[in-house]
Amino acid sequence: MMIENIRLAFKDFGSNKLRTLLSMLGIVIGVASVITITSLGKSATVSIKEEVTQAGLNIIAVFPGRDSDKEVRRLFSPELADRMESEIKEIRDVVALNSGKFLIRHGKNSYEGTEVYAVDEKFPEVFSYQVDHGSFITQEDREKRRSAIVLGAEIAEELFPDGDALGKYVRIYREGVARSFKVTGVMKARSESMRLDFDTSVYVPYDTYAQRIQKLDNVDRYFISAEDGVDVLEVSGLLEKFFLKLTGNSDSYRVISPATIAEMYTGITETLSLFLTGVAAISLIVGGIGIMNIMLVSVSERTKEIGIRKALGASPKVIRGQFLTQAVILTLVGGCIGMALGSGLSYLGTSLLNWVFSPTLSAYALAVAFSCGVGIFFGIYPAEKASKLRPVEALSFE
Amino acid sequence: MKKAKRIPSSTPSPAVQVIDVTLDYILGKTVVNALRGIRLEIDQGEFISIMGPSGSGKSTLMHLIGCLDTPTSGSLLLEGEDVSKLNESELAHIRNRKIGFVFQQFNLLTKMTILENVMTPLMYAGIPLKERRARAAELLDRVGLSDRLRHRPAELSGGQRQRVAIARALVQRPSIILADEPTGALDTDTGRTILGLFEQINAEGKTVIVVTHDPEVGSFCRRSIHLRDGLLEE
Repeated sequence: MMIENIRLAFKDFGSNKLRTLLSMLGIVIGVASVITITSLGKSATVSIKEEVTQAGLNIIAVFPGRDSDKEVRRLFSPELADRMESEIKEIRDVVALNSGKFLIRHGKNSYEGTEVYAVDEKFPEVFSYQVDHGSFITQEDREKRRSAIVLGAEIAEELFPDGDALGKYVRIYREGVARSFKVTGVMKARSESMRLDFDTSVYVPYDTYAQRIQKLDNVDRYFISAEDGVDVLEVSGLLEKFFLKLTGNSDSYRVISPATIAEMYTGITETLSLFLTGVAAISLIVGGIGIMNIMLVSVSERTKEIGIRKALGASPKVIRGQFLTQAVILTLVGGCIGMALGSGLSYLGTSLLNWVFSPTLSAYALAVAFSCGVGIFFGIYPAEKASKLRPVEALSFE
Repeated sequence: MKKAKRIPSSTPSPAVQVIDVTLDYILGKTVVNALRGIRLEIDQGEFISIMGPSGSGKSTLMHLIGCLDTPTSGSLLLEGEDVSKLNESELAHIRNRKIGFVFQQFNLLTKMTILENVMTPLMYAGIPLKERRARAAELLDRVGLSDRLRHRPAELSGGQRQRVAIARALVQRPSIILADEPTGALDTDTGRTILGLFEQINAEGKTVIVVTHDPEVGSFCRRSIHLRDGLLEE
């Protein structure tokens, strides 16, 4: 009987092609948008993650909390970097950092608002930051509190347009007082990351900075690189624990890594696509109403046929089955067309955006189930109506 | 399915027993008393016509006998089985097994081939496709349409269509054939051929009940009953 009903349904669609197509359109658009949105959402997530991994940024930043009091802030010392490194074995390097913006000058050339970083010798390694000439701040520079300075690529270009900055002196002005530093290195250009604009910055030993430029109460931020093959998120977790134990208050510090940022973006993307899927699902409901409408039309048009079938021995159950099958097939076929269309659209979208095309099987399964559900939900009333027609009245219908 | 009540009897039960049947229906705001107390017995193997002018209630009586409707009061027995209190799906079962309908306007399913039309009652009886096809083809062969199996009703003449309808009425091997003005839409010659076919069917032992207002058709049957204003006048 099921096979007969399916054949009957297709026969009926065949004789009302345009009408069938139009009534399916709602479902087609609904399913296509659900598929497109979920696929694009997934692709966005995958692409964000991939970008983070490709950049090789296995770095975690730890900041003191914004409103933590002085006492807690004092815990963020340069020595804490060594403690982190020894206590958490998944950590490769820790660099403690502080900074301020100052005017920097060499001869007539100056650069306003240069970011001056108080760093240690591990800084280049953590950020894969390469030296162009000379060398970066060394351990010796730091320990002996030498007035050494290393220039970012753009600063070097501005202050020494003729090149050859090594061994020259630059002056850093704070409140009108100049401090002289000897250039020991010039760095290669490097793109921004972790909110560090490398090229427009200069680098001095941490302790020299604290002594000569500005008194430092605490470290402004730590950058931590994870050991190879270690999950950055796991290290983040360990750091969270470390700082919670240290400060006793989860508001006293912030642990941030590109991975957690990616996680956040992923979260946003997922929420957004869930929301949009909800909106698209509404169009499925609207499509369902279209199906119901066309099924009601079909039932009233085919009243005579229903009467004949009943006279020939079709029970109400059989008639109900016939019309319900028709509604479900209508939505199912619409759903399949929608899936094909949605896949095409999301493929197109991902290739235009240069994302990874990652169709989600669950979305397809859901779309099929949903279209069936819509067919049953909106088909049951017309089918019930058909099954309850009185044979005598249906037969005399012209 | 509920077991229908069987009236104990030593002799074979009549094909149809109509016992004090009334049937009212509501048309707009007025109640129409279509049948006002009918008592009628039709024996198995009879060839009988139910005659009367339009509005006499003859179509209503036919619908009743055909289990397309149920009486307001009184009871209807088919081969001794009381069918007046059955529900819609039980009635559908009776219609499928015991009754073959032939209508004035043929009432074929227009989107299907004539073979599929004849197969339809067998589908509702749950008979496998292969057997359905064989039995339907056999019946169509019998009414002389074996070369038209794949045709649609619209491609056939009136007489041919009525023969398809007769094949469809017979395919489930019912004991009662109910024909409502079977020659009403046909010319005289074709009508005669169709009546000849009914005669043949009757000769094979089936009860044939023809509803008509045409005296010529009436005279063709072995017994005629007349209805006027919902009452029998014999």
